[in-house]
Amino acid sequence: MKLARRDRDLLAYLAPLCIGLFLLYIGPAFASLALAFTHYDALSAPRWAGLENFQALPTDAVFLKAIGNTFWFLGIALPLKLILACALAMWLHRPRPFTGPTRAAIFLPSVIPDPAFALVVLWIFNPLYGPLNLILQQLGIQAPMWLADPVAAPWVFVILSLFQIGELFVVLMVARMEISGELYENAQLSGAGMWRQFVHVTLPILAPWLFMLGARDMMMSFQSTFSFAQIMTQGDPYYATMFIGLMIYEEAFDRFRFGLGSAMMVVTFLMCVLVLGAVRLGMKRWRYQVEI
Amino acid sequence: MVFGDPGEHRAYQNLVKAYQEKHEGAKVELIHIPSQADYRRRLGTDFAAGVPADVVLINYRRYAEFAARGVVEPLGPYLAKSTILKEADFYREAIEPFKYNGELYGIPQNLSSLVVFYNKKLFNEAGVPLPSNDWTWDEFLSAAKKLTRDTNDDGKPDLYGLGTEISLQRLIPFVWQAGAEIVDDPDKPTGLNHGDPNFRRAVQWMIDLRKIHQVIPSAVEEESEDSETRFQNGRTAMFLNSRRGVPTYREIKDFDWDVAPLPRDKEAVGILHADAYFMPKPAKNKDAIWKFIEFANSKEGQTIVAASGRTVPSLREVAESPAFLDPTQKPANSRVFLDTLPIMRAVPVNRNWVDMEGTATEELESGVYQGLSADEVIASLKRRTDGVLAK
Repeated sequence: MKLARRDRDLLAYLAPLCIGLFLLYIGPAFASLALAFTHYDALSAPRWAGLENFQALPTDAVFLKAIGNTFWFLGIALPLKLILACALAMWLHRPRPFTGPTRAAIFLPSVIPDPAFALVVLWIFNPLYGPLNLILQQLGIQAPMWLADPVAAPWVFVILSLFQIGELFVVLMVARMEISGELYENAQLSGAGMWRQFVHVTLPILAPWLFMLGARDMMMSFQSTFSFAQIMTQGDPYYATMFIGLMIYEEAFDRFRFGLGSAMMVVTFLMCVLVLGAVRLGMKRWRYQVEI
Repeated sequence: MVFGDPGEHRAYQNLVKAYQEKHEGAKVELIHIPSQADYRRRLGTDFAAGVPADVVLINYRRYAEFAARGVVEPLGPYLAKSTILKEADFYREAIEPFKYNGELYGIPQNLSSLVVFYNKKLFNEAGVPLPSNDWTWDEFLSAAKKLTRDTNDDGKPDLYGLGTEISLQRLIPFVWQAGAEIVDDPDKPTGLNHGDPNFRRAVQWMIDLRKIHQVIPSAVEEESEDSETRFQNGRTAMFLNSRRGVPTYREIKDFDWDVAPLPRDKEAVGILHADAYFMPKPAKNKDAIWKFIEFANSKEGQTIVAASGRTVPSLREVAESPAFLDPTQKPANSRVFLDTLPIMRAVPVNRNWVDMEGTATEELESGVYQGLSADEVIASLKRRTDGVLAK
């Protein structure tokens, strides 16, 4: 079979991306899958370990804590992010006064590099000298000690993630703009108010978008806490902000246990797949009901 | 490849410059990574990739892993042949920790003990006599109490008597002073010696600094502004650190400061801090690399680095010279670093030390800041670090 010239050109354009993708993502992913079954310290050749790494995980209290923290974060941050992005998209999808600057303000924090953002967050949330607590004190509110307090510390991560909804917001806003006005006119004629319009028209149409964005954001969340945890807390106070990404990194690169780190990664990946599957199933049921 | 603060970085830049001036055509590229933790990660991945730097600086608590795996070159034979360096010219305390299974792997650049950096102005203002060279835990504590003051009457102290990182590394000298060993078996350690009542006493002492006496900042205060910054800003009277703080503290303009030895309990003991140059096995052109290590540790090389204030030179001759004891440079009492050498002890060289130390530090930190009892802290040390050293 001879490829058309156009296809050959396309392949040539794609090649650098594919090579990079394979060398930097797909290859290493399979390599760490294999490493998960070995003891490997990066200084000498890997030794076969069978399932030993996986057997060690359930007794590793810090790993369990990290898994717990990660899912806690996911369970709270993800719905909040989606709801907030969705609400803002509904509010700003048509021109009103100051729509432009408001949209920009919502999107902007998402393009700030993580380390810079982390340093700003450190300053804002500084329990004694940060502007946030100084303001709360002025208002007579008992201010949390944020990153110094094991209960409040993970909430800092949730709050900062709510400022990183630029992409979610833009995609949902565009999706909302695409919905034909006729649908709403019909709904109005049948006497549906704003809320019912949202539930019966907007939401079902946006559902695939919400699912796609939610799934993507969930996978990102396993990693997105990493740079913030690494810069702001290193897991402190007492593992309260030890998330799975940081844990894997420390296990592998700090303690030179690449096998165990890889096993943690594999387990995390499987959990991720499970949760995604469950969400997908739930979505199908829900859409089925709505369509009836 | 080296680690350290900007002040330390400058010292290494000068060292490289001097080497290149002396050796026509020699090219040395300096890689500087500020934090020791990042440095170790970089080192690990560089070794994994088979491309480590030709000369690497490693702390004695951290090199055993590399020696055990045989990825660093034994330097004993090189030292024996050298016409410039002689093992006998180094302080024995600096050389010994870099021997792994009897073989010398690193040429030590420095050796420091943990000392008390203190702010003279705050001592004078509070009318507290300056530390003597032979002070006790009680004298130290009573000074810290008097130096912890609430100057604006808001019910919270604004000046702290003491600041220290809460870690195993900082606890260890107090354990020794209390009269206990740090590990269960010094020759074949498996874990910490937490069963010893004197070990417990040292843990209690560290907890009480916060819980009972409140002479160190709370977790919230430490999170808001760490003790080292507090010391530099003149709001903490004493700070525990090794010699490495000196280049940074020399930039302090607002007050005069000096150093004193750690206070003593049953015994006076200090803890060794030392870094050495290592040569990774994969390196090519080993003779040229040795030449650089040799120069860095020669009288000339150590003098250059000592001038930055960073190091207590490991060569007796340089340590006793004005390069280190220069009376016009702070700290005036630099002799403390040399006088405490005979009582200085080193932690065991063990492949899993860093791992154990990290876990123990987490437990100590949470114990001290949450005001747990010594028994609770010891129970968690037992649960989490027992057996780790034997792996």
